[in-house]
This record gives sequence, C-alpha cells and structure tokens, in this order.
Amino acid sequence: MAAALFPRCCPGRILLAVLLFCAIAPAQRPAHAQSIVADLSTREVAISTGFTGADLLLFGATEGYGDIVVTVVGPERDEIVRRKERVAGIWVNGASVTFEGAPAYYRIAASKPLTEIATARVLSRHQIGVDRVNLFTRSKRQPESILTFRDALIRNKKIHQLYSEDISDIQIIRGRLFRSNIPFPVNVPIGDYLVTVHLFKDGRHVSSEETPLTVHKVGLEAKIFDFAHNHAAWYGAIAIAIALVAGWLAGVIFRRA
Amino acid sequence: MQIYLPIAEMSLNAFMLLGLGGAVGFLSGMFGVGGGFLMTPLLIFIGVPPAVAVGTEANQVVAASVSGALAHWRRGNVDIRMGVVLMIGGFVGSTLGVWLFTFLRGIGQIDFVIAVSYVLFLGIVGLLMVVESIRAWFRSRNPSAPKRKLHHHTWLHGLPFKMRFRRSKLYISALLPLGIGVFVGILAAIMGVGGGFVMVPAMIYLLGMPTSVVVGTSLFQIVFVTANVTFLQSVNNQTVDIVLAMLLVIGSVVGAQIGARVGTRLRGEEVRVALGLIVLAVCARVAWTLIATPDDIYSLGFGGGH
Repeated sequence: MAAALFPRCCPGRILLAVLLFCAIAPAQRPAHAQSIVADLSTREVAISTGFTGADLLLFGATEGYGDIVVTVVGPERDEIVRRKERVAGIWVNGASVTFEGAPAYYRIAASKPLTEIATARVLSRHQIGVDRVNLFTRSKRQPESILTFRDALIRNKKIHQLYSEDISDIQIIRGRLFRSNIPFPVNVPIGDYLVTVHLFKDGRHVSSEETPLTVHKVGLEAKIFDFAHNHAAWYGAIAIAIALVAGWLAGVIFRRA
Repeated sequence: MQIYLPIAEMSLNAFMLLGLGGAVGFLSGMFGVGGGFLMTPLLIFIGVPPAVAVGTEANQVVAASVSGALAHWRRGNVDIRMGVVLMIGGFVGSTLGVWLFTFLRGIGQIDFVIAVSYVLFLGIVGLLMVVESIRAWFRSRNPSAPKRKLHHHTWLHGLPFKMRFRRSKLYISALLPLGIGVFVGILAAIMGVGGGFVMVPAMIYLLGMPTSVVVGTSLFQIVFVTANVTFLQSVNNQTVDIVLAMLLVIGSVVGAQIGARVGTRLRGEEVRVALGLIVLAVCARVAWTLIATPDDIYSLGFGGGH
C-alpha cells in the first residue's frame, strides 16, 4: 500500500511511517501529548570544507485539525548593536546597546498568518514571531531609543538571513501531515538549537513538541577552529612555521626554475 | 569551488582567493613591495571581517618576505646590527599594537581605526611617491638644477646612546631606529602589513642608510615583526585564518615571481609613479567607505556566548 500511495518518494515514506506511528501511539501515550509528533531529517548540521548552507526537513503529524507554528531558536549570545554617527564628515561607531542572551538564529514558519492563529498575547507567551523574541538589555537609555536599537538588531539579523519569518512555508497534507524546510545560511552560528512545533486550535495553544538540533563544524575545519581557540599559542607558532617554510620553499623552487 | 574558512567563518571561492593572491603578488613582485597594504583592504572589500583580514595578512606577509629576506641575506645586503635594533623596536611596537587592536576591537572602533590608518598612511606615502617621481623626472630633463644634499645634520643626531652601524656607515643614536621600529610595529599590528612602505622611506630619509642595504634590512625585520604579530593575534584575538593565509600565499608567491620578471623591464620612475597611483587609488577607495552614507547606520557585533 505504501508504494501505491507514495511511488518513488522517499520523504513520503517517512511521512507515512510517522502517520502509522500516530495511529499506534495513542494507546501508549498520555492524552495531552498525543496531539502532535514531529522530527527532523537530521539532528545535526555539519559545517565542513564545502559548506555553503544547509536545508533541513521538518516533518510530522497532528491529531485532527489545527494551526501549526514552527520556531527554530539558535544559541544565546550577547549581541551588540552599534549606531554610526557622522563626525566631521566621517561615519564613526557611536552609541551602542547590548542585548544579553539574544538568540543568534531565529526562524519561524506557520501554516497561516500569525494574527489569524492566535492573539498577540498568546503568541508573546510562547515567543512566537520575530518581533516577540526575548531581547534583554541593561541599557539605561530611553525605551523608545532601545526600541530603535532592537528594531535594528532584528533588521540586520534578517539581512544576514539569521532571523526569518516565513508564513505559509508549512505544507499540510491531508489535514494531518505537515512538512517544512528549515534553511541554514553559510554564516549559521554554531551551537545548540531548539526546534519547537506548536499546535493551535481555535486560537488556543494546544501542545508543542521540542526537538534539539546541533550545528557544529566537522573535519579539518573543526580541528583548526578548536585548535585556534584551545591552543592559541601553538596555533600561532604553527601558523608562523608554515609561513616560513612556504616562503623559503617558494624561493628555492623559483631560484632553480 | 567554495571553500569554508574556519576562522573567518565564511565560504569563499578558492580560485578567487588564489587569483587575488596572484594579482597582489604580481604587483608586489613588480614593485618590490610587500603587498599587505593592498591585500588587507581587498580582503575587507570581499567581506572578510577586518580583524581576520589583518591577523591573516600578517601571517601571509611572513611567507611573502622570508624568501626575499634570505636572498638579500645571502648577498650580504642586510645590516644585521641595524636590523636587530629595528626588530627590538618592532617587537615592542607590534606588541603594543596588538594590545591596542584588542582594546579597540572590544569597544567597537577597530574597523574605523583600520580604515583611518589606511587613508592616512597610504595618502601620505602615495603622494610622496608621485611627487618625488615627478620631481626626479624634471631633474633628469634639467641636469643643471641644484642637487639635494645627501646628508644633513638635524637635532636627531644629537640624541644619546650612539651606536656604530658599520654596514650602513652610520654613527647615530640607537633611539632613532628603535623609535622607527616601534612606530612601524604598531602600524604592522593594526593595519596587517609588513610596513615596508613606511620603513623604507624612513631608513633612507631619516636614518640616511645606503639604498643597497635598505630593502634587505627592511625585509629582515619585517619577517620577525609580522611573525610576532601573527603569534599575538592568534593568542589574543584568534583572528589568524591558516586556510585563508595558505591560499593567498600560494597565489602570491607565483604572482610575485612573474611580477618580478616584468618589473625588470620597466623604468624606475615609471614604476614608482604607477605604484604611487595604485597606493592613492586604494587610499581613495578606503576613504570612500568612511564618508559614504552606510546602507544601515546600525551594525551588529557580538560579545561572548552564554
């Protein structure tokens, strides 16, 4: 039957497997956790020599009708937003605001526009929407001023494709299965990510399912990066040694030629 | 072919980097300069973070200068005593420079200071080169014009701690080359250059060294100073990208050999005017980044992870 339903289609088979799993699952799981299952095509994004970005597939199934919202939140770090000011005709970095623990990456996808899914209050409670991300600052500036810095942070993150909002990027198949792409640009920050699938019914948050995800460097790139950070002095010494040998070697080769 | 640079944390085309190294190497071979002052701004223009461009370039200059330094050493064109004094100053200066670099990076002003240093020094050196070449050209047309005095005494010669530099035929205060070494060392650390474009004129006009030993001695101390910068940038800022440096080195050593062969066929004055114009062009391009209104006056940087 599987082959007849989804001929030569691999993701389709995965989806079917999920669907079958859903049919069996209710007998074993507590009632409130039944309503949504989801998984990723892979639990890690590996950055290697030829890395130019990656696309992950999120897939799952819901029980009955509902609206689906997927959030992907990257590792937290301190983001400093700086404003340039013109001093004697030259642009210089002036005022700055530091947002502590800001997500380095944030993506949201939803099955329909957020305002149609739930009220702003409900969405805020679950940090759903780029504008509702928790951005904390100790800055003593005026609230309006902080707001412009906050907007600038979000705007710049969007330009670098690190924050994104894609409504209607979730495909729903037969009212129960869903799939969504999660794109990671080449500048994706390394660290631990959390993918959360939220299910809403009639404006209420019904349930959510969390899947962890790791973005890390692998192979030679990872070794070089780790070595540069953990054994900085040795790294520097080796960099010098390589340069000395390369320069000397070039001299020898071309003197013969 | 895209290649991921582990420290710059970005993907760039490997052939583009080899070509960039080749082109800058060609010019540096033709004009007999290090090429750092061209490579660092070019790397910044193609999107490499300025801090990584500067740290990596120091590493590349080590490779670019060592074969030249060895060649001059074999021919006896290095005033070792002078080189060592300059080198001591260079160590002090580049250590100060990297410390300053780390500090400026922390307060978010390093990109600005790098750009201003480029505009200032490339502007001055480029102008001097062009003006000097044009004057020399006029002198060659009018040989009866009075010649400049080769050596004249100023207050600089009254400084204490006099040292004899036999190879350069000089008896001057050690403070003078020491000071020049410190100054060029700071520039090398902040601008990601060897500093030859400042060191060579300083040796000729301030110290009065004979031109035969100027280039060799300059290269000799550049190897040590850029090695020190590479080490300290690695330790303090982790901004030296070995993969990027290697691609640039491979391109530049090949380019430099071709450039050197082409350079021998050109006349000295023409070469100096051409180099002066290139220096001024880079200066103008960097100046533009400072005065042009940015697309977004807000920019992001980040502190530590959590």
